[in-house]
Amino acid sequence: MSEIRTLIVDDSSVMRKIVERSLRQAGLDSMVVYEACSGTEGLDLLKAKQVDLILSDINMPSMDGLEFLRQLRAQNLAPGVPVVMITTESSEEHVKQAILAGAQGYIRKPFTAEQVKERVLPLLQPA
Amino acid sequence: MLLNGVRNAAIATARDVGVKEMERGMPVSLRASLQLVSDPKNLDETVEEVFKMMLGIDCRRDSGPVDLEPESVTAVVGFGGLLSGACLFKSGSSTAIKIAAAMTGMEFAEVDDTVKDGIGEMGNMLAGAWKSKVPNLAANCGLSIPAVITGRDYNLHVQAPEFKLVHAYRFDGGSFEVTIICDGLQ
Repeated sequence: MSEIRTLIVDDSSVMRKIVERSLRQAGLDSMVVYEACSGTEGLDLLKAKQVDLILSDINMPSMDGLEFLRQLRAQNLAPGVPVVMITTESSEEHVKQAILAGAQGYIRKPFTAEQVKERVLPLLQPA
Repeated sequence: MLLNGVRNAAIATARDVGVKEMERGMPVSLRASLQLVSDPKNLDETVEEVFKMMLGIDCRRDSGPVDLEPESVTAVVGFGGLLSGACLFKSGSSTAIKIAAAMTGMEFAEVDDTVKDGIGEMGNMLAGAWKSKVPNLAANCGLSIPAVITGRDYNLHVQAPEFKLVHAYRFDGGSFEVTIICDGLQ
């Protein structure tokens, strides 16, 4: 797969590292990774950088992942770029809210690299 | 004080998402499911699942006390909504360092901010995975952002909780304790 530019939004630096490692294990070993520790920082970064994939936590201080996603769509930042939410929240209501806000995928923590591969790689295939 | 802070944050999260579900349908109550919510097996399965999936570590419930160390690290994640209370993860600092190393693939000489971040995230995953074992709990109970406490000789006291689970676990290289405190159930 060609070099993928990925934005990982999570307030936990450890979780950003785990997500990155899982993506590399899933086959995206040559990807370029941008990191943001909040939704606000993620939006700022997307004004300056182009990305091919966004993974975001939901439960974050200041601006949570759902608000980040709504703002992303409202400001038309990264149009057409798939967004996958990675979160400890697993109820149908949370999944529904994420999909309504514009997410293409949802991964519940804890997760395996195999689950990341199954949920993320299909989103990167050319239409 | 800290527990009140994390609980208030969790209640705010529950207001954002879970409560909407309650408002739409039949009134939801967890009281009738108290036995299911407080089932000790849920906690054991949660801990084994999180450690296996995120760290590739087999860990098992242990009858003995956790290894005594002068300094300990505790992550607190509050529950709010139909259930209020907290999930606590507590270990000695050397175990916390080993867990953070397994999470990140990095080496640590002391409990620094990355180790604290990793233990906080561990508490977050344990709290989330535990509540997902009971469907009504998953949908109607929010989680706070984790708070992490480090230090010596401290105890957590909650007056007359509805129920409290305190389980010790051991893996090759360390031991830790996970506590679920429920001080309110609707």
